[in-house]
Amino acid sequence: MPTLIEQARSNKPAAASILPRAIWPLLVGLAIGALMFYVIGPGMGDYPSKIVLIAGINIILAVSLTVVNGFTGQFSMGHAGFMAVGGYVAATITYYGSMKLFGSADPAGGVLSFTGGADKPTALARWGDALFIGSCLMGGVGAAIAGYIVGLPSLRLRGDYLAIVTLGFGEIVRVLLQGTHEQIQPWRVEDALAKPVYELAISLGGPKGFQLLPTYTTLFWVYLFVVVTLIICYRVKNSSTGRAFLSIREDEIAAQAMGVDITKYKVRAFVLAAFFAGVAGGLYAMDIGAINAGDLGFLKSFDIIIMVVLGGMGSISGAALAAIILTILPELLRNPPPVWPVGLVLIALIAGVSSYRKRFRWKPIIVIAIASTLLEVGRQIALSKGINVADFRLILYALLLITMMLVRPQGIFGIHEIWEILPGYARREAARNGARGGSQGGKP
Amino acid sequence: MSTPPIVLDVQGISISFGGLKAVQNFSLKLPRGRLYGLIGPNGAGKTTVFNLLTGVYQADSGTITLDGVKLNGLKPHQIAAAGLSRTFQNIRLFGELSVLDNVRLACHLRGKHSIWSTILRSAYHMGQEAAIHRRSLDLLGILGLDSRAGEQARNLPYGDQRRLEIARALATDPKVLLLDEPAAGMNPQEKKSLRDLIRQIMRQFDVTILLIEHDMGVVMDICERITVLDYGVTIAEDVPKEIQKNPKVIEAYLGEAAPAAH
Ligand SMILES: Nc1ncnc2c1ncn2[C@@H]1O[C@H](COP(=O)(O)OP(=O)(O)O)[C@@H](O)[C@H]1O
Ligand SMILES: [Mg+2]
Repeated sequence: MPTLIEQARSNKPAAASILPRAIWPLLVGLAIGALMFYVIGPGMGDYPSKIVLIAGINIILAVSLTVVNGFTGQFSMGHAGFMAVGGYVAATITYYGSMKLFGSADPAGGVLSFTGGADKPTALARWGDALFIGSCLMGGVGAAIAGYIVGLPSLRLRGDYLAIVTLGFGEIVRVLLQGTHEQIQPWRVEDALAKPVYELAISLGGPKGFQLLPTYTTLFWVYLFVVVTLIICYRVKNSSTGRAFLSIREDEIAAQAMGVDITKYKVRAFVLAAFFAGVAGGLYAMDIGAINAGDLGFLKSFDIIIMVVLGGMGSISGAALAAIILTILPELLRNPPPVWPVGLVLIALIAGVSSYRKRFRWKPIIVIAIASTLLEVGRQIALSKGINVADFRLILYALLLITMMLVRPQGIFGIHEIWEILPGYARREAARNGARGGSQGGKP
Repeated sequence: MSTPPIVLDVQGISISFGGLKAVQNFSLKLPRGRLYGLIGPNGAGKTTVFNLLTGVYQADSGTITLDGVKLNGLKPHQIAAAGLSRTFQNIRLFGELSVLDNVRLACHLRGKHSIWSTILRSAYHMGQEAAIHRRSLDLLGILGLDSRAGEQARNLPYGDQRRLEIARALATDPKVLLLDEPAAGMNPQEKKSLRDLIRQIMRQFDVTILLIEHDMGVVMDICERITVLDYGVTIAEDVPKEIQKNPKVIEAYLGEAAPAAH
């Protein structure tokens, strides 16, 4: 009987298909990034496209946290800490790097970062974009290293300890960053050039935050990374590595008995998630033009956790959808639209899917009906009294979460991807398994 | 008749939980290709022996050797890699995962998985995933579960879950397979086919089996030798015929159902 590794070698797909498979996510990312940047962004106007950009950053954060909290079932509460590490690393390299390379902390070029290029055409020819994106990747690497250092000792511990350790990690990161020296202001380039690198690396603005960063982040870069993150996480989930992650969440004892080195895989998940959080931090910093560790504390981690919990513990597309909803929701609350139409759509969806599956469910429908009635009443009261609903955002989040826990504790999509719960998926999948097993069957 | 080489050699392992001596001085020599049984009343320490062998617990004393490799002190996943696999009495499937994925996960042990080849879907990675897929479907076919491949494991009927546990354990390509009450909860029909199944598995996979089972019909029928535990102590070790006549064994089982063959 050939070993698995021998079988794998003899089973390799044709060489011609290797490169396309490796790089198509990047190409799709570039295409979608360009679409967002050239078509959708300008079509929406400034403010909505800003929201869409933030939604993209949140997608990266939520999807990456899904790898840890959703797949491996570990409860990390320090995701914003990794975002902060990545954001500061990226900001440092971009800011001081710009001074060293271009003699100024202004954005230096790149068609795709028009903030700097539009009013200074000469700058377009320079490589500020490359510096920026390289520094975001370095931010990811920095966060991944932090993830390894935090994860290796703490992931040996069981469950709750990790939550505490990661919570502590986030706070330590915040305190350390807020304890850094004054930043060297953009108009004092000579000072920056005169200082050694290590001193620049600790001049990050302290409690005031790291400000006046060149703003390179555009819809293009954000959605490039969104697509790449989504596809990488999807590939991981649907692989031996992903199944090892999921097995840990399902049953650690059984996973070990089946040969899964659970510490190794937990650390892997942690490092992978930290990397993307770090990249997101870089995109975030160079979008706002500032980053303040004070904003990236426990509350920010909690925001990301809510997205994962809402979307479904283990669902990539669910987390992405929840990130979009929870980014747009506060905006909607500024001027709340009627709730009933949304409720009706949800009820129709649930009724449709559940009757298709021949397991009609009343409970969620009743809960949604009651919830949307209550929300509608609240909205009418708020409208008549002139109350700003956005002020009650956190209370609404809490209500949303409680409703979620009652109706569907595993999150909207549970472990499944959105398309997996659509009608016909199971049938097609069964056909696929049958076809493979039949055509290539034989003794194991 | 010459005995085949000993593949699993257990010498005097013991463990106690607080004051409770759950297993005392347990020894076993399991020759390659044989099927031995481990029986005893409830709470005798049978499952604890499995937990000791698979590294869930560390033995206070004694040695465990698998095919020349000393297992003491190894972590459970290293023991699995050395070639010892098991099923669980209190079923421990990956409930949210599909039946197929339960088996695919276990195939992972014999492969190589770098994060880069996973992300880039390298040629090796694709070949390996395809091999794992095929192998898993074949295993499910042998265990009669291929038609349920896409279902969530926790939705399977009880008997199917037990067989899925066996499929999953086999997927790690073990030298020795430990089965912890595989017939529990099965109906007589299922029990009968389980016997045939276990025999078939031994032939087809060239695997050695140690079986814990409460159903004496199954044990007496398929085991070549049987070890009897009572309160953590080995009270008998013999061929089934002798075990049935052994007064100590009969006494240990008094109060429970007597170990009579069907
Ligand atoms: N982790 C543990 N902690 C304390 N006691 C245990 C533990 N595991 C097993 N025991 C005890 O050891 C004894 C043997 O249990 P077990 O091996 O499960 O018996 P069985 O022969 O029915 O499989 C029982 O009294 C049980 O309560
Ligand atoms: Mg037991």
